[in-house]
Amino acid sequence: MDELALLQNYLIVGAFLFGIGLVGFFSRRNMIVIFLSAEMMLQGVSVSLVAWGRFHNNWGGQMLVIFILTVAACEAAIALAVVLTLFHKGGSLDIALWQQLREGNQPAYVDHEVPEERDEEKHWPRLTPSGIEPAPDLEDLTHRAHI
Amino acid sequence: MNQVIAMTAAASLLLAFGLWLMMPRGASVGRSLGTLLVAVSLGLFASQVPRLGNWANDAVFLILAGVTVLAAVATVTFRNPVYSAIWFALSLLGTAGLFLFQGAQFLGVATIVVYAGAILVTFLFVLMLANPDGHAFYDRLSWAPKLSAFTGALVVGILTLTVASVFQNPQPENRPQERIAMAALESNILAEQHMAHLGAELFSKHLVAVEVAGTLLLVALVGTVAIVAQIRKPVHGGGSSHG
Repeated sequence: MDELALLQNYLIVGAFLFGIGLVGFFSRRNMIVIFLSAEMMLQGVSVSLVAWGRFHNNWGGQMLVIFILTVAACEAAIALAVVLTLFHKGGSLDIALWQQLREGNQPAYVDHEVPEERDEEKHWPRLTPSGIEPAPDLEDLTHRAHI
Repeated sequence: MNQVIAMTAAASLLLAFGLWLMMPRGASVGRSLGTLLVAVSLGLFASQVPRLGNWANDAVFLILAGVTVLAAVATVTFRNPVYSAIWFALSLLGTAGLFLFQGAQFLGVATIVVYAGAILVTFLFVLMLANPDGHAFYDRLSWAPKLSAFTGALVVGILTLTVASVFQNPQPENRPQERIAMAALESNILAEQHMAHLGAELFSKHLVAVEVAGTLLLVALVGTVAIVAQIRKPVHGGGSSHG
């Protein structure tokens, strides 16, 4: 395999993941999707690092990616805790609720028109029922062991 | 070189326009046109990348890269955040495949287990917890979609051009890395006992970093509990009465 071509190809894929994650981070309003985009940027960097490690025949790239995984896990835990707290305080995952954190000289963002939901977007993924629902057991329903 | 620059610029413009059409921005007209434009632009980029020298390798790489990047585009453009998360999982699987293709077996598996298995499922939990009915207006809007799509495409274009120009080096004798490559690679980074080599490297050269990473995980754990415990406390002067 042409090692140089392999490196170039992987760097380009890494650039794509980074750039697309950047677009999502800048433009999406849902806090969860924003964090997904940030994770995607980390993935882009990881792809590049692994490619460099292979090109230089060096384990450093893979080591760094292992630590990126660790830091991403920490970041996800704290991010989710913050998102839950913000959701509890704001009642919504919309990041625009917290726009008073912006710089003082920036104008406030106002939603001019809220788009209507289209019918084909109203369906939601759901599991197919597996088998017949068993008859409820009254004992189970009323028994609360932890109270 | 001029042709490469023109081609990359055209592909980046197509990518920017296609991404903008695909973004949630109120009206959802032109989404299929946007998908088509993004696909064409990815095809242009794919026609520019250097070939690996073997059609089977090329095919595997292009399929994995295409799945990864298309799923990434779908992640940032889908209205429904649950679908976004599921597309992100597909993108992660593609990345894991790319890692395996490079010979980074541990990272391929770890990406699936840690990212797709743990982190993503936790994200989905919070998503379902926070937004049970799902259909929120802010998912159908974006901040400055034109500007951000253009910025992203610019970043991709510039990075691609840099990669193409830095490595433009046609003489094979100027590539010492490549000549020594295969034998050296197979005794080190592509060795058969991948995990043994990786573990030896990780726990000898990077032992301090491992300890620091463990401490970081502990601190993050404590911090998470501390942050979430705040929710339970009543806020001064009324406000939340839960908990």
